[in-house]
Amino acid sequence: MEGSGTGFRKELVSKLLHLHFKNDKTKVSGDVLQLTAELLRIFTMEAPVHRVWQAQAEDAVQVGVEQLEKVLPQLLLDF
Amino acid sequence: MAEEEAEEQQRFSYQQRLRAAVHYTVAALCQEVASDKGMPFSKQSVAAVSEVTFRQCENFAKDLEMFARHARRSTINTEDVKLLARRSNSLLKYITEKSEEIAQFNTEQKAKKKKKLEEGNKTLEAAEVVESES
Repeated sequence: MEGSGTGFRKELVSKLLHLHFKNDKTKVSGDVLQLTAELLRIFTMEAPVHRVWQAQAEDAVQVGVEQLEKVLPQLLLDF
Repeated sequence: MAEEEAEEQQRFSYQQRLRAAVHYTVAALCQEVASDKGMPFSKQSVAAVSEVTFRQCENFAKDLEMFARHARRSTINTEDVKLLARRSNSLLKYITEKSEEIAQFNTEQKAKKKKKLEEGNKTLEAAEVVESES
């Protein structure tokens, strides 16, 4: 089911969502949790992948915060 | 006053625990990318990504709640999540496919459970018949 095995757990996603809901009556179905976990996984994976490209373009040895600063605006506009 | 402070403290520590959980997952995902591309990530940058993810979660949660409320529902469904991924075409396509996959998987799982339950009932009935015969 899950591509690589690592990803956000359903329980964590549920707690994160409920932390920010203003209305306590808001409910979430199981499918939604799975789908949101996948969305979050893509979001987190996207940042490192972009940063590796950026670091390679700069001939850097290690990926640091500077690369994140450069790719973050693009990333946030896409989500 | 002291009670309020204690409550605030509790809320903060709960948030910190969630943050730690997010950090753990993000670190695992970063490690995966790092070993795949052969490029290490600095610790600060992993922490920065996990912080961004945590804050992004807040946006996701608020948006999902609003979408559901706009549709006069109190339960968030997969349509709302699809709406969340609307900004990028390829992401929307991927999420739609994934949603169908998950729905199909779950219906199959349900059918299997039902079948198992029915089979269990049958064997139970058979056992009862044998018992009553003897």
